[in-house]
Amino acid sequence: MLLAFALPLALLLQQAPIADRLRGRVSPEIAALATELGTAAAARGLPLDPLIQKAIEGNAKGVPADRVAAAMRLVVSQLDASHTALRGSPALAADTVAVAAGAFALNAGLKDGDVAALSRSVADAPASDVIVGLRVAGTLVALGVPPAETVNLVQATLKAGRPAGELLGLPGQIQAQVAKGTPPAQAAAGLARAAAAQSRRGPPPGRGQPPARPGPPPHP
Amino acid sequence: MSEREFHSFVKQLLDGDITIADLPAELRSEGEEALRLLAAVDRRPVQLDGLTARVMAQIAEHPKRKFWRRVLQPREFRVRVRPWLMVPALAAAAALVLWIGRSGPPSSPASPALVTVRFVLSAPDAHEVSVAGTFNQWNADATPLVRTDAGVWTATLTLPAGEHQYAFVVDGVRWVPDPAAPAVDDGFGRRNSVLTL
Repeated sequence: MLLAFALPLALLLQQAPIADRLRGRVSPEIAALATELGTAAAARGLPLDPLIQKAIEGNAKGVPADRVAAAMRLVVSQLDASHTALRGSPALAADTVAVAAGAFALNAGLKDGDVAALSRSVADAPASDVIVGLRVAGTLVALGVPPAETVNLVQATLKAGRPAGELLGLPGQIQAQVAKGTPPAQAAAGLARAAAAQSRRGPPPGRGQPPARPGPPPHP
Repeated sequence: MSEREFHSFVKQLLDGDITIADLPAELRSEGEEALRLLAAVDRRPVQLDGLTARVMAQIAEHPKRKFWRRVLQPREFRVRVRPWLMVPALAAAAALVLWIGRSGPPSSPASPALVTVRFVLSAPDAHEVSVAGTFNQWNADATPLVRTDAGVWTATLTLPAGEHQYAFVVDGVRWVPDPAAPAVDDGFGRRNSVLTL
Protein backbone atom coordinates (compact mmCIF):
# COMPACT_ATOMS: atom_id res chain seq x y z
CA MET A 1 0.00 0.00 0.00
CA LEU A 2 2.96 2.25 0.78
CA LEU A 3 4.26 1.90 -2.77
CA ALA A 4 0.81 2.52 -4.19
CA PHE A 5 0.93 5.99 -2.61
CA ALA A 6 4.67 6.59 -2.96
CA LEU A 7 5.00 6.13 -6.71
CA PRO A 8 2.35 8.66 -7.79
CA LEU A 9 3.64 11.06 -5.13
CA ALA A 10 7.20 10.75 -6.43
CA LEU A 11 5.97 11.46 -9.95
CA LEU A 12 4.07 14.51 -8.77
CA LEU A 13 7.09 15.80 -6.84
CA GLN A 14 9.25 15.47 -9.95
CA GLN A 15 6.74 17.36 -12.07
CA ALA A 16 6.12 20.12 -9.55
CA PRO A 17 9.54 21.83 -9.80
CA ILE A 18 9.31 21.94 -13.59
CA ALA A 19 5.87 23.49 -13.55
CA ASP A 20 6.87 25.91 -10.79
CA ARG A 21 9.98 27.13 -12.61
CA LEU A 22 8.13 27.60 -15.88
CA ARG A 23 4.99 29.21 -14.51
CA GLY A 24 4.50 32.61 -16.14
CA ARG A 25 7.70 32.25 -18.18
CA VAL A 26 6.57 30.08 -21.08
CA SER A 27 3.32 29.23 -22.83
CA PRO A 28 1.18 26.46 -21.34
CA GLU A 29 1.97 24.37 -24.43
CA ILE A 30 5.73 24.58 -23.86
CA ALA A 31 5.30 24.09 -20.11
CA ALA A 32 3.34 20.89 -20.75
CA LEU A 33 5.99 19.59 -23.14
CA ALA A 34 8.80 20.49 -20.73
CA THR A 35 6.99 18.67 -17.93
CA GLU A 36 6.51 15.60 -20.09
CA LEU A 37 10.10 15.54 -21.36
CA GLY A 38 11.55 16.50 -17.98
CA THR A 39 9.67 13.85 -16.02
CA ALA A 40 10.86 11.15 -18.40
CA ALA A 41 14.40 12.56 -18.42
CA ALA A 42 14.57 12.66 -14.62
CA ALA A 43 13.46 9.05 -14.49
CA ARG A 44 16.49 8.22 -16.65
CA GLY A 45 18.80 10.09 -14.26
CA LEU A 46 19.21 13.17 -16.46
CA PRO A 47 19.39 16.74 -15.13
CA LEU A 48 16.35 18.98 -15.58
CA ASP A 49 18.02 22.38 -15.59
CA PRO A 50 19.26 22.45 -19.23
CA LEU A 51 15.78 21.56 -20.47
CA ILE A 52 14.07 24.18 -18.32
CA GLN A 53 16.65 26.80 -19.32
CA LYS A 54 16.10 26.08 -23.02
CA ALA A 55 12.33 26.52 -22.65
CA ILE A 56 12.79 29.84 -20.85
CA GLU A 57 15.45 31.00 -23.33
CA GLY A 58 13.19 30.24 -26.29
CA ASN A 59 10.36 32.23 -24.80
CA ALA A 60 12.63 35.16 -23.88
CA LYS A 61 13.98 35.32 -27.43
CA GLY A 62 10.49 35.23 -28.92
CA VAL A 63 11.08 31.95 -30.73
CA PRO A 64 7.98 30.19 -32.16
CA ALA A 65 6.72 27.29 -30.03
CA ASP A 66 7.53 24.61 -32.60
CA ARG A 67 11.18 25.65 -32.72
CA VAL A 68 11.38 25.80 -28.94
CA ALA A 69 9.95 22.29 -28.81
CA ALA A 70 12.55 21.07 -31.31
CA ALA A 71 15.36 22.71 -29.34
CA MET A 72 14.10 21.11 -26.11
CA ARG A 73 14.07 17.68 -27.73
CA LEU A 74 17.62 18.29 -28.95
CA VAL A 75 18.71 19.16 -25.41
CA VAL A 76 17.23 15.91 -24.09
CA SER A 77 18.93 13.90 -26.84
CA GLN A 78 22.28 15.51 -25.97
CA LEU A 79 21.75 14.74 -22.29
CA ASP A 80 20.97 11.13 -23.18
CA ALA A 81 24.07 10.94 -25.37
CA SER A 82 26.20 12.43 -22.60
CA HIS A 83 24.77 10.00 -20.05
CA THR A 84 25.60 7.09 -22.34
CA ALA A 85 29.10 8.40 -23.09
CA LEU A 86 29.86 8.69 -19.36
CA ARG A 87 28.84 5.12 -18.55
CA GLY A 88 32.49 4.08 -18.59
CA SER A 89 32.77 6.03 -15.36
CA PRO A 90 29.72 5.11 -13.26
CA ALA A 91 30.31 7.89 -10.72
CA LEU A 92 30.18 10.50 -13.48
CA ALA A 93 27.19 8.90 -15.23
CA ALA A 94 25.28 9.12 -11.95
CA ASP A 95 26.20 12.79 -11.43
CA THR A 96 23.68 15.12 -13.07
CA VAL A 97 26.23 17.96 -13.11
CA ALA A 98 28.64 15.76 -15.07
CA VAL A 99 25.88 14.73 -17.48
CA ALA A 100 25.03 18.40 -18.09
CA ALA A 101 28.72 19.21 -18.62
CA GLY A 102 29.00 16.39 -21.15
CA ALA A 103 25.88 17.59 -22.98
CA PHE A 104 27.35 21.09 -23.18
CA ALA A 105 30.56 19.66 -24.67
CA LEU A 106 28.51 17.73 -27.23
CA ASN A 107 26.53 20.83 -28.15
CA ALA A 108 29.78 22.74 -28.58
CA GLY A 109 31.01 20.20 -31.13
CA LEU A 110 32.66 17.27 -29.36
CA LYS A 111 31.59 13.74 -30.32
CA ASP A 112 30.28 11.06 -27.98
CA GLY A 113 33.63 9.28 -28.16
CA ASP A 114 35.45 12.46 -27.12
CA VAL A 115 33.28 12.80 -24.02
CA ALA A 116 33.78 9.12 -23.20
CA ALA A 117 37.55 9.47 -23.68
CA LEU A 118 37.71 12.51 -21.40
CA SER A 119 35.71 10.76 -18.69
CA ARG A 120 37.96 7.69 -18.77
CA SER A 121 41.26 9.42 -19.38
CA VAL A 122 42.31 10.05 -15.82
CA ALA A 123 41.17 7.31 -13.53
CA ASP A 124 42.46 8.91 -10.35
CA ALA A 125 41.35 12.47 -11.10
CA PRO A 126 38.59 13.80 -8.85
CA ALA A 127 35.16 13.79 -10.50
CA SER A 128 34.94 17.55 -9.99
CA ASP A 129 38.11 18.04 -12.08
CA VAL A 130 36.76 15.86 -14.88
CA ILE A 131 33.53 17.88 -14.86
CA VAL A 132 35.55 21.08 -15.19
CA GLY A 133 37.52 19.33 -17.95
CA LEU A 134 34.32 18.59 -19.87
CA ARG A 135 33.16 22.20 -19.59
CA VAL A 136 36.56 23.54 -20.60
CA ALA A 137 36.68 21.10 -23.53
CA GLY A 138 33.34 22.44 -24.77
CA THR A 139 34.60 25.99 -24.40
CA LEU A 140 37.80 25.23 -26.32
CA VAL A 141 35.82 23.73 -29.20
CA ALA A 142 33.61 26.82 -29.15
CA LEU A 143 36.81 28.85 -29.56
CA GLY A 144 37.68 26.91 -32.70
CA VAL A 145 40.07 24.31 -31.31
CA PRO A 146 39.47 21.01 -33.18
CA PRO A 147 38.04 18.17 -31.03
CA ALA A 148 41.17 15.99 -31.24
CA GLU A 149 43.47 18.78 -30.02
CA THR A 150 40.91 19.72 -27.38
CA VAL A 151 40.80 16.20 -25.95
CA ASN A 152 44.60 15.96 -26.00
CA LEU A 153 45.02 19.26 -24.18
CA VAL A 154 42.44 18.56 -21.47
CA GLN A 155 43.72 15.02 -20.93
CA ALA A 156 47.32 16.22 -20.70
CA THR A 157 46.37 18.91 -18.20
CA LEU A 158 44.39 16.48 -16.06
CA LYS A 159 47.20 13.91 -16.17
CA ALA A 160 49.71 16.56 -15.13
CA GLY A 161 47.78 16.83 -11.89
CA ARG A 162 47.21 20.55 -12.34
CA PRO A 163 44.48 22.13 -10.19
CA ALA A 164 41.07 22.80 -11.72
CA GLY A 165 41.89 26.49 -11.78
CA GLU A 166 44.55 25.85 -14.41
CA LEU A 167 42.04 23.96 -16.55
CA LEU A 168 39.76 26.98 -16.38
CA GLY A 169 42.61 29.18 -17.54
CA LEU A 170 43.08 27.23 -20.80
CA PRO A 171 40.43 29.09 -22.89
CA GLY A 172 42.02 32.42 -21.90
CA GLN A 173 45.47 31.16 -22.89
CA ILE A 174 44.16 29.95 -26.26
CA GLN A 175 42.39 33.28 -26.84
CA ALA A 176 45.61 35.16 -26.02
CA GLN A 177 47.62 33.12 -28.52
CA VAL A 178 44.93 33.33 -31.20
CA ALA A 179 44.94 37.11 -30.72
CA LYS A 180 48.65 37.02 -31.59
CA GLY A 181 47.91 35.11 -34.81
CA THR A 182 48.44 31.50 -33.72
CA PRO A 183 45.82 29.09 -35.12
CA PRO A 184 43.67 27.55 -32.34
CA ALA A 185 44.82 23.98 -33.10
CA GLN A 186 48.47 24.98 -32.92
CA ALA A 187 47.95 26.92 -29.71
CA ALA A 188 46.23 23.93 -28.11
CA ALA A 189 48.94 21.52 -29.28
CA GLY A 190 51.62 23.74 -27.73
CA LEU A 191 49.83 23.89 -24.40
CA ALA A 192 49.29 20.11 -24.48
CA ARG A 193 53.02 19.54 -25.02
CA ALA A 194 53.81 21.78 -22.07
CA ALA A 195 51.33 19.91 -19.87
CA ALA A 196 52.74 16.56 -20.96
CA ALA A 197 56.25 17.73 -20.07
CA GLN A 198 54.95 18.81 -16.68
CA SER A 199 53.36 15.38 -16.28
CA ARG A 200 56.72 13.66 -16.97
CA ARG A 201 58.46 15.83 -14.38
CA GLY A 202 55.87 14.85 -11.77
CA PRO A 203 53.05 16.64 -10.01
CA PRO A 204 53.63 20.26 -9.10
CA PRO A 205 54.26 21.18 -5.50
CA GLY A 206 51.13 21.59 -3.45
CA ARG A 207 49.25 18.75 -5.16
CA GLY A 208 46.65 17.52 -2.74
CA GLN A 209 45.89 21.01 -1.53
CA PRO A 210 42.44 22.40 -2.37
CA PRO A 211 42.58 23.89 -5.86
CA ALA A 212 42.72 27.66 -5.83
CA ARG A 213 39.97 29.45 -7.68
CA PRO A 214 41.17 31.89 -10.30
CA GLY A 215 40.76 35.57 -9.68
CA PRO A 216 38.18 37.59 -11.56
CA PRO A 217 38.79 37.23 -15.28
CA PRO A 218 39.36 40.53 -17.07
CA HIS A 219 36.48 39.78 -19.38
CA PRO A 220 34.43 36.72 -20.31
CA MET B 1 -25.96 -28.04 14.78
CA SER B 2 -25.83 -26.82 18.36
CA GLU B 3 -22.77 -26.63 20.50
CA ARG B 4 -22.64 -27.68 24.10
CA GLU B 5 -20.07 -26.54 26.59
CA PHE B 6 -19.08 -29.29 29.04
CA HIS B 7 -17.77 -28.71 32.53
CA SER B 8 -14.00 -28.63 32.78
CA PHE B 9 -14.01 -31.87 34.85
CA VAL B 10 -16.03 -33.57 32.08
CA LYS B 11 -13.45 -32.35 29.54
CA GLN B 12 -10.74 -33.96 31.66
CA LEU B 13 -12.80 -37.16 31.60
CA LEU B 14 -12.98 -37.04 27.80
CA ASP B 15 -9.24 -36.44 27.64
CA GLY B 16 -8.69 -39.57 29.76
CA ASP B 17 -7.14 -37.65 32.61
CA ILE B 18 -9.76 -38.86 35.12
CA THR B 19 -12.39 -41.62 35.32
CA ILE B 20 -16.16 -41.29 35.73
CA ALA B 21 -15.72 -42.27 39.35
CA ASP B 22 -13.57 -39.25 39.96
CA LEU B 23 -16.35 -36.87 38.93
CA PRO B 24 -18.55 -35.27 41.59
CA ALA B 25 -21.98 -36.85 41.78
CA GLU B 26 -23.74 -33.90 40.18
CA LEU B 27 -21.52 -34.12 37.10
CA ARG B 28 -21.69 -37.86 36.52
CA SER B 29 -24.79 -37.75 34.30
CA GLU B 30 -23.11 -35.04 32.18
CA GLY B 31 -19.96 -37.15 32.03
CA GLU B 32 -21.89 -40.22 30.92
CA GLU B 33 -23.63 -38.22 28.20
CA ALA B 34 -20.29 -36.88 26.97
CA LEU B 35 -18.86 -40.40 26.84
CA ARG B 36 -21.91 -41.56 24.86
CA LEU B 37 -21.44 -38.81 22.33
CA LEU B 38 -17.77 -39.64 22.00
CA ALA B 39 -18.54 -43.29 21.43
CA ALA B 40 -21.01 -42.40 18.72
CA VAL B 41 -18.35 -40.78 16.62
CA ASP B 42 -17.44 -42.86 13.55
CA ARG B 43 -13.72 -43.44 13.83
CA ARG B 44 -13.22 -45.64 10.84
CA PRO B 45 -10.42 -44.54 8.54
CA VAL B 46 -11.65 -42.28 5.74
CA GLN B 47 -11.04 -43.65 2.26
CA LEU B 48 -10.82 -41.11 -0.55
CA ASP B 49 -10.36 -42.53 -4.03
CA GLY B 50 -7.08 -41.46 -5.65
CA LEU B 51 -6.04 -39.25 -2.75
CA THR B 52 -2.68 -40.92 -2.32
CA ALA B 53 -1.92 -40.58 -6.01
CA ARG B 54 -2.86 -36.89 -6.01
CA VAL B 55 -0.78 -36.15 -2.92
CA MET B 56 2.23 -37.96 -4.36
CA ALA B 57 1.82 -36.05 -7.62
CA GLN B 58 1.89 -32.77 -5.73
CA ILE B 59 4.99 -33.79 -3.81
CA ALA B 60 6.72 -35.01 -6.98
CA GLU B 61 6.15 -31.70 -8.83
CA HIS B 62 9.42 -29.82 -9.46
CA PRO B 63 9.82 -27.05 -6.86
CA LYS B 64 10.79 -24.40 -9.44
CA ARG B 65 7.81 -25.18 -11.65
CA LYS B 66 5.59 -25.08 -8.63
CA PHE B 67 7.04 -21.70 -7.61
CA TRP B 68 6.48 -20.13 -11.03
CA ARG B 69 2.99 -21.59 -11.23
CA ARG B 70 2.17 -19.98 -7.90
CA VAL B 71 3.68 -16.67 -8.95
CA LEU B 72 2.11 -16.50 -12.39
CA GLN B 73 -1.25 -18.01 -11.63
CA PRO B 74 -3.87 -15.25 -11.66
CA ARG B 75 -5.61 -14.94 -8.37
CA GLU B 76 -8.07 -12.58 -6.87
CA PHE B 77 -7.40 -10.73 -3.67
CA ARG B 78 -9.24 -7.98 -1.93
CA VAL B 79 -7.84 -5.09 0.02
CA ARG B 80 -9.95 -3.49 2.70
CA VAL B 81 -8.78 -0.01 3.62
CA ARG B 82 -9.69 1.44 6.97
CA PRO B 83 -10.13 5.22 6.54
CA TRP B 84 -8.20 6.05 9.72
CA LEU B 85 -5.21 4.12 8.31
CA MET B 86 -5.00 6.44 5.26
CA VAL B 87 -3.37 9.28 7.23
CA PRO B 88 -0.36 7.33 8.54
CA ALA B 89 -0.08 5.51 5.18
CA LEU B 90 0.07 8.81 3.28
CA ALA B 91 2.57 10.20 5.78
CA ALA B 92 4.76 7.13 5.42
CA ALA B 93 4.52 7.34 1.61
CA ALA B 94 5.54 11.00 1.70
CA ALA B 95 8.48 10.15 3.96
CA LEU B 96 9.53 7.40 1.55
CA VAL B 97 9.32 9.79 -1.41
CA LEU B 98 11.41 12.39 0.41
CA TRP B 99 13.93 9.75 1.39
CA ILE B 100 14.16 8.59 -2.25
CA GLY B 101 14.64 12.21 -3.27
CA ARG B 102 17.43 12.69 -0.73
CA SER B 103 19.24 9.59 -1.90
CA GLY B 104 18.92 10.49 -5.58
CA PRO B 105 21.74 11.08 -8.04
CA PRO B 106 24.63 12.88 -6.40
CA SER B 107 25.58 16.24 -7.75
CA SER B 108 28.84 18.07 -7.43
CA PRO B 109 29.53 21.14 -5.32
CA ALA B 110 26.31 22.01 -3.54
CA SER B 111 27.43 25.60 -3.03
CA PRO B 112 29.85 26.45 -5.82
CA ALA B 113 32.37 29.24 -5.45
CA LEU B 114 31.42 32.70 -6.68
CA VAL B 115 33.41 34.54 -9.30
CA THR B 116 33.13 38.21 -10.23
CA VAL B 117 32.87 38.83 -13.96
CA ARG B 118 32.76 42.05 -16.00
CA PHE B 119 30.66 42.09 -19.15
CA VAL B 120 31.64 44.60 -21.82
CA LEU B 121 30.03 45.46 -25.17
CA SER B 122 30.95 48.25 -27.51
CA ALA B 123 27.69 49.55 -28.97
CA PRO B 124 27.91 53.30 -29.56
CA ASP B 125 24.54 53.48 -31.32
CA ALA B 126 22.57 51.52 -28.73
CA HIS B 127 20.08 53.22 -26.43
CA GLU B 128 20.04 50.42 -23.91
CA VAL B 129 21.93 47.18 -23.45
CA SER B 130 21.38 44.34 -21.02
CA VAL B 131 22.78 40.88 -20.55
CA ALA B 132 20.53 37.83 -20.30
CA GLY B 133 21.56 34.26 -19.73
CA THR B 134 21.31 31.11 -17.72
CA PHE B 135 22.36 33.04 -14.61
CA ASN B 136 19.31 35.34 -14.65
CA GLN B 137 16.71 33.07 -16.27
CA TRP B 138 17.23 34.82 -19.62
CA ASN B 139 15.51 37.89 -18.25
CA ALA B 140 16.36 40.76 -20.59
CA ASP B 141 15.34 43.34 -17.97
CA ALA B 142 17.23 41.91 -15.02
CA THR B 143 20.78 43.04 -15.74
CA PRO B 144 21.18 46.33 -17.60
CA LEU B 145 24.64 47.48 -18.66
CA VAL B 146 25.88 50.99 -17.92
CA ARG B 147 27.08 53.19 -20.78
CA THR B 148 30.44 54.92 -20.57
CA ASP B 149 31.49 57.98 -22.58
CA ALA B 150 33.04 55.98 -25.39
CA GLY B 151 29.87 54.05 -26.17
CA VAL B 152 31.10 51.05 -24.22
CA TRP B 153 28.51 49.28 -22.08
CA THR B 154 29.58 47.38 -18.96
CA ALA B 155 28.14 45.39 -16.07
CA THR B 156 29.87 43.53 -13.27
CA LEU B 157 28.24 40.39 -11.88
CA THR B 158 29.16 37.79 -9.30
CA LEU B 159 28.28 34.36 -10.64
CA PRO B 160 28.58 30.82 -9.32
CA ALA B 161 31.40 28.70 -10.75
CA GLY B 162 30.25 26.58 -13.67
CA GLU B 163 29.27 26.97 -17.29
CA HIS B 164 26.99 29.86 -18.24
CA GLN B 165 25.48 30.88 -21.57
CA TYR B 166 24.38 34.40 -22.32
CA ALA B 167 23.78 37.09 -24.92
CA PHE B 168 23.53 40.86 -24.92
CA VAL B 169 20.13 42.38 -25.62
CA VAL B 170 20.46 45.64 -27.53
CA ASP B 171 17.57 48.09 -27.37
CA GLY B 172 15.34 45.38 -25.94
CA VAL B 173 14.96 43.46 -29.18
CA ARG B 174 18.30 42.46 -30.69
CA TRP B 175 20.06 39.45 -29.19
CA VAL B 176 23.79 39.78 -29.81
CA PRO B 177 26.52 37.27 -28.82
CA ASP B 178 29.56 38.62 -27.02
CA PRO B 179 32.17 39.19 -29.77
CA ALA B 180 34.97 38.59 -27.24
CA ALA B 181 33.75 35.21 -25.97
CA PRO B 182 33.42 31.70 -27.41
CA ALA B 183 29.94 30.85 -28.66
CA VAL B 184 27.79 27.78 -29.25
CA ASP B 185 24.62 27.07 -31.23
CA ASP B 186 21.57 28.11 -29.22
CA GLY B 187 19.25 25.66 -30.99
CA PHE B 188 17.23 28.51 -32.49
CA GLY B 189 19.58 29.42 -35.32
CA ARG B 190 21.57 31.92 -33.29
CA ARG B 191 24.65 31.81 -31.06
CA ASN B 192 25.00 31.97 -27.30
CA SER B 193 28.21 33.18 -25.71
CA VAL B 194 29.85 30.83 -23.23
CA LEU B 195 31.42 31.65 -19.91
CA THR B 196 33.18 28.84 -18.03
CA LEU B 197 34.16 29.73 -14.47
